Amino acid sequence: MLEKLSENLFDKISIDFLRNQVMKNAYGNNDTVIAALDPRILLLWYLFFGLAPWFMKDVVLLLGMFLLVAALACMARIAPLVLFLFCIGVFTQTGYLLLISLFFGGNMETVAPLLVMTLKVAVVSLASVTVFSGLDPDRLANGLEWFGCPERFSFSISFGYRMLPVLMEEFQNILLSYRLRGNAPAKDTFVGKVRWFVYQVKVIMMAFYPLMLNTAKRSRTTVEALELKGYRYASQNMAVKRIRLASLRLGNRDIWFVGISAAWMAACVGFSWWVRGGML
Amino acid sequence: MSVKKNSGISQPQKLMIFVLTMSLYGLATLMTELIPKFQVGIVEFSVEYFLFIPLSLAMLFDPLSAALGASTGELVFSEIMLGQFGGLGELEKFLTVAIGVYIAGCLVRNPKNVRMVGFAAILGVILQQFMGMVVDIVKVQTAVAEFEAVPGLPESVFFTEGFAFLNDVLFSGILFCMLPTMYLVPKLYGKIEPLLGMKPRQAGVPTVRAQAVGTQTVGTQAVGTQSFEERTSAEPVIPAKAVVLSLIGFAVAIGAEYLAESGMALIDWEASWAESSGAMAAGMGVAAAAAAIVIFWMKRNAQLRNAA
Amino acid sequence: MIRIEDLTFTYPGAEKPSLKKIRLHVEKGDFLAVIGNNGCGKSTLCKTLNGLIPHFISGDMEGHVLIGGEDTQEQQVGSLARKVGYVYQDFENQIVRPTVLDDASFACLNYALEGHEERGRKALSMCGLKEKEGDFIWQLSGGQKHLLALAGALALGPEVLILDEPIAQLDPFHARQTYEILEKLNREYGKTIIVIEHHTEYIARYCKHAILMRDGEILWKLPAREALRQVEDLEESNIFPPQVTLAAYQLKKRGILLENVPLPTTLEEGKEAFSSCRFWPCVGRHQEEKPLGEVMVDLENIRAGYRAVKGESRPIFDGFSLKIRRGEKVALIGSNGAGKSTMMKLMIGLMKPEAGRISLQGQNTRKMSPEEMAKRISMVYQNPEEMFIKDSIEADIAYAMRVRKVPDWRERTEKLLELFHLTGIKDRDGRLLSGGQMRRASLAIGIALNPGILLLDEPTANLDIATRHEIMGTLELLKGITETVVIATHDMQLVCQWADRILVLKDGRLIADGAREEIFADREVERQVGIQPPEIYAMGRALSEKADCYTIEEFIDCFQEMEVNCFQEMEANCFQEMKGEGFGYAGEAV
Repeated sequence: MLEKLSENLFDKISIDFLRNQVMKNAYGNNDTVIAALDPRILLLWYLFFGLAPWFMKDVVLLLGMFLLVAALACMARIAPLVLFLFCIGVFTQTGYLLLISLFFGGNMETVAPLLVMTLKVAVVSLASVTVFSGLDPDRLANGLEWFGCPERFSFSISFGYRMLPVLMEEFQNILLSYRLRGNAPAKDTFVGKVRWFVYQVKVIMMAFYPLMLNTAKRSRTTVEALELKGYRYASQNMAVKRIRLASLRLGNRDIWFVGISAAWMAACVGFSWWVRGGML
Repeated sequence: MSVKKNSGISQPQKLMIFVLTMSLYGLATLMTELIPKFQVGIVEFSVEYFLFIPLSLAMLFDPLSAALGASTGELVFSEIMLGQFGGLGELEKFLTVAIGVYIAGCLVRNPKNVRMVGFAAILGVILQQFMGMVVDIVKVQTAVAEFEAVPGLPESVFFTEGFAFLNDVLFSGILFCMLPTMYLVPKLYGKIEPLLGMKPRQAGVPTVRAQAVGTQTVGTQAVGTQSFEERTSAEPVIPAKAVVLSLIGFAVAIGAEYLAESGMALIDWEASWAESSGAMAAGMGVAAAAAAIVIFWMKRNAQLRNAA
Repeated sequence: MIRIEDLTFTYPGAEKPSLKKIRLHVEKGDFLAVIGNNGCGKSTLCKTLNGLIPHFISGDMEGHVLIGGEDTQEQQVGSLARKVGYVYQDFENQIVRPTVLDDASFACLNYALEGHEERGRKALSMCGLKEKEGDFIWQLSGGQKHLLALAGALALGPEVLILDEPIAQLDPFHARQTYEILEKLNREYGKTIIVIEHHTEYIARYCKHAILMRDGEILWKLPAREALRQVEDLEESNIFPPQVTLAAYQLKKRGILLENVPLPTTLEEGKEAFSSCRFWPCVGRHQEEKPLGEVMVDLENIRAGYRAVKGESRPIFDGFSLKIRRGEKVALIGSNGAGKSTMMKLMIGLMKPEAGRISLQGQNTRKMSPEEMAKRISMVYQNPEEMFIKDSIEADIAYAMRVRKVPDWRERTEKLLELFHLTGIKDRDGRLLSGGQMRRASLAIGIALNPGILLLDEPTANLDIATRHEIMGTLELLKGITETVVIATHDMQLVCQWADRILVLKDGRLIADGAREEIFADREVERQVGIQPPEIYAMGRALSEKADCYTIEEFIDCFQEMEVNCFQEMEANCFQEMKGEGFGYAGEAV
């Protein structure tokens, strides 16, 4: 069943599709509500929603958090592929653990803590997807730098943001070279399918050999240009940092965002007390 | 801002290697997201990662730059660009990958020695996976309250993690890390260096590796140099500094998790104490956190303003 | 502005110095062209000016480079960058930020200059990119990216600008645009501009001085037009003077032009120089009608396009139809983004049309496996580096045949290596070859499977003119192997010499289709697409309304001052010209 599913997926998911999804995700949603927020606020928000769930036992509270985060994820218009990968990530992990623990003499008592754990994982992952996918990478880089992240890291984000389409296109072209000139095994039978799949993975790996050499050629120019543009000089200079981060400003929107989140959480806490009170 | 010539490899060249590894490994991790996993029983045939790329580059060039480039690349391309950034959880992978690649890179002193290359590659993978396993176990312990009390859970966690470790090392490790590295390193050796404007490193001869005809000052601080000098000496030793650095890194990686665990205890304690005046305790906690954030915010602003 | 005194530079590990005892003075406000064959040290020279040598690239350097009176050795790269801007040949890699304005102001930001965004904006508007400032880099065309790289260098307000082969990757329209901007920078803003350039027509039109380099030495520095008249010197360095100059040079050799007439370098000069020549229409010039061959490629009502990142995707092609027959030599022209590459991708099956039908030799491609398609059609990419997937060109050429178990793949590989003169370098990695060798190798890879149709994407881009001629020669070699060839190109000389059918694309529509005579005579096409016939054609037209000469040979034949009784001789000439068409120019010019 799982095999069949992944087989189908592999047919659909091509490099082209991936490229499109990534581009959509990285460049396509800079006009959503989430993207317009101050990255610093979002990072702090994430710090809470990414950490707090781990320490909570209250299912009601966790559910409340989940609803809030899910709603925000919708507002951030996350690409479908990302959401799909997210779901797979959450459910395979715990489902698998459950099976094994049943094998080791677990029972229904094991299920409950695992479900709670799944919920925690879901909240944390959704929060990160919302923040880091909704935010455009450049702003994220600025935000991280403001909090004292090494400058090299935020540069890398921007640089990756710039180079990704170029690299993907080059990689795609090399893969096409393989496809046009190679000879993929027929995939009519099951054995054929496996062989076809192995062949594809092998081609992807082999394609990195030319890509490594081509990219090496590129990075030389890039680093020379960086030197000319004073990048090395700037990375140690606080004044430059100040100018660069001057674009970060708190606005009304940010206050609303924090306010609504806080209010919702407070409501959840209240509700959870009420539920517990009712039960007692 | 002239080129610092005191280390075997110049600063811009390190940046070059960093950029190169970052782009390549970043793209590779994006690709591995695409390749579906197959599961037969509990054995998983999955492409965990294409660690052969940073491994090869770390063996050919400066291991530290390649290691950092690899972890950054993974973070930036596959996590942030694809919007999958796990936030704090990524710290663990960042560190373990960096350490694994770094140590593997340091071990190889002659890129033409295929056996050495293969050994170093698989060792790097084992290290990385092992550290990852430990962190994962700690994570579940943290997330599940009364971990030990849940029937069957501890055993299953240890079992699954241990099995996944073996699985990954034996399948991904050999197929996607060790073998390609053994194939690539000798092939790239002598070919990729001129493209970056460097000289290929030569086995056993110290200080020829970089084109910067630098004066070899004693007591260089750069870790890269240290490892490089040692690597080119007669015996393949893991440089002491590499070990220390790695240990510290690993300590940080699981330290974060332990901190989290003790944090849980703290909250538990707080909760029991707060039975009576719960609202006040929660309020105080929130207020304290908010105050801390505001203070930090103001301090940071001032810091930046003063920088001018 | 720039003084170089006895500069000698050796790369580390190199045996010979790349620059030998260079002495050069460049005045403020000059527009200097640096010419020379590949590997003569042009780029090295330019890198000494912005301090990359010796600060970034180490090596042995003797002598001094003074910029505005200050020695580069005593200055930092950072402060030099504010005096000398540099635009690389592979400018794409010079752009490091994701959006346009961000990249243009990046350097200013790094040096903590006040108002960095303003500076970036100003530089953008100088380069005509004002309305693009919010765009992402990948939304720009090649020409715009180049201008952005230029703006990035300009933003620091340098007095000297160095450009390494600025127009190598641009179509003629954008090439002219780039040079016009450079001219404006030179004239209005007083910038000193240094270009490394192979395209002598542009040197004649825009540059003030030129230096010729050979083997790390400067042979001479002359006023630009004077420089281009040194035909022998240039040809020895594999540089081709403007077509007008070459034509006049040939006519002089035949004694038709008088010795005292200075060689013309531009159209205006040409009008005067050739004023004594009379136009004489050649007989037998019309082409013989070829019987129509079998339809090789058939596109019917194609709709295709890329998925947009945001919003509705707009198809590039909508209701597009085209037939290509056996034996045709088709040139596909049109500005960047007109759909040339997309069309090729459709033909070869890399892209599937949303609607419509594509057939190869009468069979629908939708049902064909990639393997089957590869037997019928093959494509050579614009960037040959992407064709090299193995570690030697021999393995690359053999790869497709080997994995398909073509019985005599070893022999065929050897034959192909022989045919394309690659036997001596067959064990080298493709990426480490020179530009011309790379192209030849990629062509050999492209035809390894004996395809019925061969598609070439910009086979002459990024090559110096001598190598371009070499490639044109190589195209002749294809004749025996592949009859039907489609080339997408900006190179009008190639189009004129080689193609017998020209397709002009604009915004995914075919706006013209015919032989060169029809295309270039069509004013409407010229207006819409901005294609320009080669200079020699324009020269002929300027001299006579009836002239229709596309190559130097045709021009010479048409404008020989001949007596009527030489009619027979003329016929013989025409015959010769027909035979050598396409190939002849390269052969004769050398």
